Amino acid sequence: MTPNPLYLFAALTVLATGALAQQTSTPPPPAQDIDTLLSRFSDDPDHFTQTDGADLYRATCQACHMEDGRGAMGAGAHPPLAGNPKMRSKHFLAGVILTGYHAMPRFGHMMSDDQVAAVTNYVRSHFGNDFPDVITAAEVADLRPPEDE
Amino acid sequence: MTLTTPTRRQLLAMIGQVAGAAAMYQAMTSMGFAAESGYAGAPELQGPRQGRRVLILGAGIAGMAAAYEMRRAGYAVKILEYQDRTGGRCLTLRGGDRYTEMGGHEIACDFQGDGYLNAGPWRLPVHHRAVFDYCRRLGVAMHPFIIKNNRAFLHSASAFDGQPQRIGDVEKDMRGHVSELLAKALNQGGLDDAVTPEDREKLLEGLKDWGVLDRNYTYRASDDLGGVRGWDIPPGGGLMPEKKPSQPNDLSRLLHSGLWDQVFNFNSYSFEPPMFEPAGGMDAITDAFAREVEDVIQLNARVTRIAQHDDGVTVTYEDGGRGGTVREQTADWCICTIPLSVLAQIQVDCSDAMRKAIAAVPYASAFKVGLEFRRRFWEEEDGILGGVSYTDLPLVQIAYPNYGFLSAGPAVLQAAYDTATGGRNFTYSWSSMTPQERIDAALAFGRQIHPQYDAEFLSGTSWVWHRVDWSLGCYGQWTQELRDEHYKTLCEIDNRLVLAGEHCSHIPAWLEGSLLSALDAIKRLDQRENA
Repeated sequence: MTPNPLYLFAALTVLATGALAQQTSTPPPPAQDIDTLLSRFSDDPDHFTQTDGADLYRATCQACHMEDGRGAMGAGAHPPLAGNPKMRSKHFLAGVILTGYHAMPRFGHMMSDDQVAAVTNYVRSHFGNDFPDVITAAEVADLRPPEDE
Repeated sequence: MTLTTPTRRQLLAMIGQVAGAAAMYQAMTSMGFAAESGYAGAPELQGPRQGRRVLILGAGIAGMAAAYEMRRAGYAVKILEYQDRTGGRCLTLRGGDRYTEMGGHEIACDFQGDGYLNAGPWRLPVHHRAVFDYCRRLGVAMHPFIIKNNRAFLHSASAFDGQPQRIGDVEKDMRGHVSELLAKALNQGGLDDAVTPEDREKLLEGLKDWGVLDRNYTYRASDDLGGVRGWDIPPGGGLMPEKKPSQPNDLSRLLHSGLWDQVFNFNSYSFEPPMFEPAGGMDAITDAFAREVEDVIQLNARVTRIAQHDDGVTVTYEDGGRGGTVREQTADWCICTIPLSVLAQIQVDCSDAMRKAIAAVPYASAFKVGLEFRRRFWEEEDGILGGVSYTDLPLVQIAYPNYGFLSAGPAVLQAAYDTATGGRNFTYSWSSMTPQERIDAALAFGRQIHPQYDAEFLSGTSWVWHRVDWSLGCYGQWTQELRDEHYKTLCEIDNRLVLAGEHCSHIPAWLEGSLLSALDAIKRLDQRENA
């Protein structure tokens, strides 16, 4: 069947309009950047799948404590992790991540002992923090409240 | 005795005749009828005796409703508000809006059309009776909010080759398959212990209609099913092609797709249709309250201390925000609606138990991304007029505008939204991104559902509640254990101070919770004043 020339004309017009629209819209960022960006989401909505301390920090803590670990201040404040004397205790920090603290939500149910250890050790060795003692997954397990297990 | 005791209905009718509808409603409420939201009409306050001056902290809906009602009852009210705007978390972003979030990034909203993004509350169930009653009294125009659109999508990146499915199709297929299975079990006598033979016949008859089964109790394509589920070739006019019913999806494929679970998003009583929204944006509600009480609101006042003494309260605040001129305001009573996340960082004179309660409640993560597009391709090409699509991608849901249907020109999608209540961890990662990264991610995920995104995108904006310095999170994330331990203490009047807001309610994050909390707090304060 020969296509109706009128229909063909209409289709070409639509295509041309689409192309024009494509040209004037903001180009999407390069694919590599997008993949890196999207990798900041966990592959599993229930549990974080990142294992590296820096990756876990970027997926969670950074929301409030910011890229530089300095927190932020306005009417209320998100406390800094940089230069914060409370970071001296690895048990305190791991406990806060497990159970939450004041307005901060808990992350224990979304992270394994290894992950809590990794992000604890990351925070205590970055942002100007330089505490030599690391926490192990076994030590995190001891801190975990019973309902998380 | 039986002759003289009226039935409940007779009693209510008598009360209605003698004392009017309001009294009948009160009576109905106290008898347990009509008490859906705990709202029993505008509060009847006795008014002040000695303690006339009421200082309210926060010009969100709780603070402004408290001011509105207490002033009506004769109290002298004043509101201190940290922001340079009223409304609190009832906030709508429109073109031209600018906001600096914690961390220093600027949130820009450059929407060209009349579309908007409600950063906080965005839909109202009709059983939130306090909100609706105040909207009626304050003249807030409402229009329907389509919560469930059977033509909107359910989507999984790993099911149906990533092709979105229509909500109605998934729902009807599940209903059909479950009906078929149940009919099979009934016919094989598998449920003879559970149902009588008469009930079995009734059930089979009903399942046939409910699930659209054929005479053999099989769920399969037919003209009957086309009339329920829709058509691959819809009935047309003139010499158009013969109609052809749509083909149901296979049960096993549906079960493993995760899409059935997504249908459950619509099961909640909070999302029961019909829902409503104020025309032009959710802030129409708080704007209406602000019009009533704007003369008593002082903006840009950052509270730093709430001191109590025997005969009143003294609130210290910085006039002009953090680092501003320090001033004091005294009053006989204080109603504090500051979110607990922020209040926990303020020195407050109160019982140790209340201080512990203030510091005990985590604040939930929540975010939104709004994207403006050149045209309504979701309406033009996908036939989706309003409603919400769900996906297992981290954007979780796409909500379509329920206003301006069929209009030409730009329109705004709520292109990504989730809260910690959903139990997913994605919201933390969205919250850790820069505003530009959130837009990039929303586009990258969204184009998997709507491939038109790239060609039609104009601009985007976003909101991250953990990066809002006056709320440090979205809402009080209560657990039953926390409620058992702290809720009552948190809500009790502590000498001259009472707290109010969504955090002092059993409806966290909803405007109704804030309103009911405020109404209950002022009622008890008024009783204390008149005790």
